Amino acid sequence: MKLLKYTFALLACAILTNCSTDNDDNEENLSGQSGDLILKFDNSVGDQDFIFGTTYSKSNSETFQLSNLKYIISNVRVTDNEGNTFYYPEEENVFIVSESNGNNAGEIYVTLNDVDAANYTQITFGIGIDQDRFALGADGQGDFLELASEEGMMWSWASGYKFVRFDGTFSTPSVTDEPLNVHMGSVGTSLDNYKEVTLNFPNTVLVREDSSPEVHIVADISKVFDGVMTANFADGYDQVHTDATETPIIATNIQSMFEVHHIHND
Amino acid sequence: MMYAHYPNTICNNHNSEAWFCDLCGCSTSSGSFGYGTLSNTNFVGLRYIYQNFESKAGIFSNSPISKETFNTVQLWAQVPINDSFYVTANVPYQDLTRKFEGERENLNGLGDISAIGWYKIMFYKKKITDSTAIDYSLTKEPSGHSIQFGIGVKLPTGTFEERLADNVNPGFQVGTGSVDGVFSVGYNYGSDRIGVNTLFSYYLKGENKNNYQFGNQFSYSTNVYTVFSGEKMNVMPFLGLSGDVYNSIKQYDETLQDTDGSILNASLGSELAIDKFIFGANYSLPVSQSLFGDNVKSKQRFSVYVNFAL
Repeated sequence: MKLLKYTFALLACAILTNCSTDNDDNEENLSGQSGDLILKFDNSVGDQDFIFGTTYSKSNSETFQLSNLKYIISNVRVTDNEGNTFYYPEEENVFIVSESNGNNAGEIYVTLNDVDAANYTQITFGIGIDQDRFALGADGQGDFLELASEEGMMWSWASGYKFVRFDGTFSTPSVTDEPLNVHMGSVGTSLDNYKEVTLNFPNTVLVREDSSPEVHIVADISKVFDGVMTANFADGYDQVHTDATETPIIATNIQSMFEVHHIHND
Repeated sequence: MMYAHYPNTICNNHNSEAWFCDLCGCSTSSGSFGYGTLSNTNFVGLRYIYQNFESKAGIFSNSPISKETFNTVQLWAQVPINDSFYVTANVPYQDLTRKFEGERENLNGLGDISAIGWYKIMFYKKKITDSTAIDYSLTKEPSGHSIQFGIGVKLPTGTFEERLADNVNPGFQVGTGSVDGVFSVGYNYGSDRIGVNTLFSYYLKGENKNNYQFGNQFSYSTNVYTVFSGEKMNVMPFLGLSGDVYNSIKQYDETLQDTDGSILNASLGSELAIDKFIFGANYSLPVSQSLFGDNVKSKQRFSVYVNFAL
């Protein structure tokens, strides 16, 4: 009887110690380590996963559907829990996120290689091309100039890059299935529409030599038209190209469309 | 210059709200399923459990649904040590199937073995205190009421596969990979006509090798049964309520969003005792549930068992 009681007590102790969390890996030495950080861009319209050819409603009783959805991301950097910021190497730090390159779940992967191992809490990136990169001239763009041309993300070199490209059709109470083309960018050096966005991670992103965390970023396309400001097709936002009034409104709306939904460490 | 590349696989590590391992295959040793027979007798037996779930494989309202079916066969037993102590043990075999976008995936193997040691306190009828009468009876008469305290452990005998943790539904595992502690308290009442079983259990979850720590869990169940005695058999139909409350899952000591939840089930069933054999069946339907940001829905569960009374 006594023996049983002791066995019971011993078992209880064993369980309690087993289940307590040990924090002995806090003193991890990360210097010299690096790993991959994967950004998964996932386009949505409100709480719906974005799908080509689906008709979506917006304000002002207008609808749209898209057959082309692309945007340029650049100057990606991440900040760790000690306030240090890791800048991805500049010449590599420009990407085209294109819905047509998504996997079955509509996610577009951007893999950042050789990111310093650290505990990251925040990400910052730009939408489009900043004036400094543009000032490097056509030769300074490396292979990206050719890629952007192939992807239809350029006007002429003088006018520069299209930062975003939404092509499709729209309907309003008075017109049906008219062409929709929203191509926003900076216009040479005269109009700067480059914007940056900083997003906090809901959990710490642990980049290590042997683990590649994933950051799931949702881009809500409905915000392009119903964001900080409202852009109605009936008011001329069905064709947005280099207009000095319209493009800054689209740029401001796009700046607010990104959200880090969740992250994965493993 | 980089091109956003695009592995043409379904989303790896799909979403945080899908970490619900302890709800599914691995959880069949949970207290909300019960540890034994209605009459709290000692036994050794086999139990089969069928459960199905639907979970949203994605973060959007139009994300596709994955359907999971969990088949579990358990060797389970309640073995006495002496009048006050007994042990319950559970050795599960898991067979899990998931259907997602036309693909079928199957996983099977030994699950997580658990064992609980119990200390039972029986209550006896009060004797009439009459100083003039002499009590000749040597045995105390049981009142039918008893309470039990249990301490146990769930072992990581089921293989926790890291590659599956990267899947759409990381709950698709035969084991949690963690050592968990189980603390239980139960109350039983049984007469020859009716009975009540109530059980409360708390699970202290350990961290597994992937640095996941499933949320601590509180399980409860209560069953009310009646006894119809025949010459050769007893039939004991029962009605019950059971439920689980899950705390959030932690990874690297940080809480993951949308990983907590609760479920309340109503169940209906019966036991049939013939000689030393007890046959049982139990059908449960969720009455209310809010699991993991409502991305997981328990549909139903069904179990049948045959026990041999010791």
